[in-house]
Amino acid sequence: MSKKKPWYGPVPAIVGLLLVVSTLSGCGGGVHATTWTGLVVHEGVVYAADLEQVRALDAESGAVLWLFPAEPDMREYGPFYTVTLLEETLFVTSYERTGSGFFAQSKGVLRALNSQTGQQLWKATVGGGEFVAAGALTDSTFVIGNSDGMVYTFRKEDGAPVWERPFAAAGRVWATPLVISDTVYIASLDHSLYALDLATGQERWRFEAVGAMASQPLLLDQRLYIGAFDGHLYALRQQDGHLEWSFEGESWFWGSPTTDGALIYATDVGGNVYAVDIESGQQVWRSTLDQPFHLGPALNPDGQILLVAGDSGTLYGLDASDGFVIWSQPGKGQLASLVVDGNVAYVSRINAEQRIQAFYVDNGRPLWVYPQPQASE
Amino acid sequence: MWDQLILNPMIHLLLLFYRFLGQQTIIAITALTLVVRLATLPLTLKQQKSAQRMQELQPELQKIQKKYAKDKEKLAQEQMKLYQEAGINPLGGCLPLLLQLPLMYGLWQSIIRVLAVSPLELLKLSQNIGQLFYIRFDIAGLISLVPLQSTFLWLDLGQPDRYFILPVLVVVTSWLAQKILSPPTVAADDRSAAMNRQMQIMMPLMFGFISISYASGLSIYFVISNLITILQYFLFQRGHTGKKE
Repeated sequence: MSKKKPWYGPVPAIVGLLLVVSTLSGCGGGVHATTWTGLVVHEGVVYAADLEQVRALDAESGAVLWLFPAEPDMREYGPFYTVTLLEETLFVTSYERTGSGFFAQSKGVLRALNSQTGQQLWKATVGGGEFVAAGALTDSTFVIGNSDGMVYTFRKEDGAPVWERPFAAAGRVWATPLVISDTVYIASLDHSLYALDLATGQERWRFEAVGAMASQPLLLDQRLYIGAFDGHLYALRQQDGHLEWSFEGESWFWGSPTTDGALIYATDVGGNVYAVDIESGQQVWRSTLDQPFHLGPALNPDGQILLVAGDSGTLYGLDASDGFVIWSQPGKGQLASLVVDGNVAYVSRINAEQRIQAFYVDNGRPLWVYPQPQASE
Repeated sequence: MWDQLILNPMIHLLLLFYRFLGQQTIIAITALTLVVRLATLPLTLKQQKSAQRMQELQPELQKIQKKYAKDKEKLAQEQMKLYQEAGINPLGGCLPLLLQLPLMYGLWQSIIRVLAVSPLELLKLSQNIGQLFYIRFDIAGLISLVPLQSTFLWLDLGQPDRYFILPVLVVVTSWLAQKILSPPTVAADDRSAAMNRQMQIMMPLMFGFISISYASGLSIYFVISNLITILQYFLFQRGHTGKKE
């Protein structure tokens, strides 16, 4: 007598496996962001790397000027994370699958687009990791760090490498470089801030903090100011990286500080906003809000209002003189970038329907939102 | 609540091991896995004892099944009677397993969280470090250790193994662990036997898939955990046989 096989056979195993596979690979739709999106504003246009597409929007109305690619196509492009603008060229980075099938790997991709039309000028596939932070530009060279620990340089015209070989840090590079004259200042998660020769990539000096660093340093009067994950804000001599003072906060300093010339303003991931005297490094005031801040603060043009963007989605306007909250504008999704242009603050968000927004700096009133919310029935 | 009571303590323990064991992530993962497995050893032993006793009852169970093959109700009654006589709860192995699950899940989650490879993951981690049981403090400068050194031989522990060596090891060790832990079943064509066979194939494949998709640090945990399971089983068997003699 032949043995009767159970009716269900291998079906539950296969179904179970498929369920696990689909859950883990995020088949639920939408783009799964691993880092934050960025935007720049220039001459009345907002350029935003907004995951599926790069968008050029009218800064006054939020109307679409162009999109790249014209239709979202996540098999070919993106997700787009950073944008950097120089004159008529917009540099955008993404993290894309190369190869096909099971052995496909993701790589960092840099594209140069015409900022007027969104047309692609060239593309370079580099790096084993993501480009987390935007790059920096000189007249002819584009400099950018990668999660693979390298700092890459590209010729603006055609994307050809400028340095003989990329500079290798000992950790991931998640910070935007600062290029001043012939020197590139760039921080790494290996706890170092490097000063590199712009022409060759040779190291000139390095400053080692106790913790990792992931932000662009701020330069003022031949001093560099940068925060670290060790909870310190450091003031360094630009020439050689000598430590002039350090200020101890409560938690990680992730974003870049800003200044009005007299005070340094900085935020930490513990929800604190600090104003620190630029000469002595002493705290002038501190305001504690109820959400982490990975983004650094931004000042309005007259230096009266300090904008801070929280990771739980609230944009705050603080009185720069004492840290008092003047207004707050809650919103859905994590705030990913913040740019102040004139009297308007532009933000991008992730994990939200409305991903690009403009607010009046004075009172936090919304100016426009992109995409427009669907009209309710 | 979960973060404060399970995840944050595990993350801090992992960072403490990292801090004091040569700042090697792989050693820290191994040490934490050992500690958690040691802490759950009484439960594991209970589970293994239960499995062992079930195994000893297999000949009796087979006889009963043959005898009452056509009367399912009677079969169930007789099986229950046999369990009662032997003083066995057929679900006795499940409770220790259920109690271990939160710890295992916490361990798994803490490894993924600490290996944070993306900025969003690292920001999440920043909210876990420096807080234990709702109290904020920094032990032994753990905050500044992050992100951890994540390279080991050919591996970036925060990324999947691109040479697929670890996923293969995970599948092989998971299969072995499954194989030795699964008690022989009553009859080859029985539904539970079929289910067992499927699980023996499906679970290792699932862990293999996770290894291909997730940080290889997690694969290290799978391999170490499987090896501990296998070792525990043989030590238990030896002890059990010794007692019988």
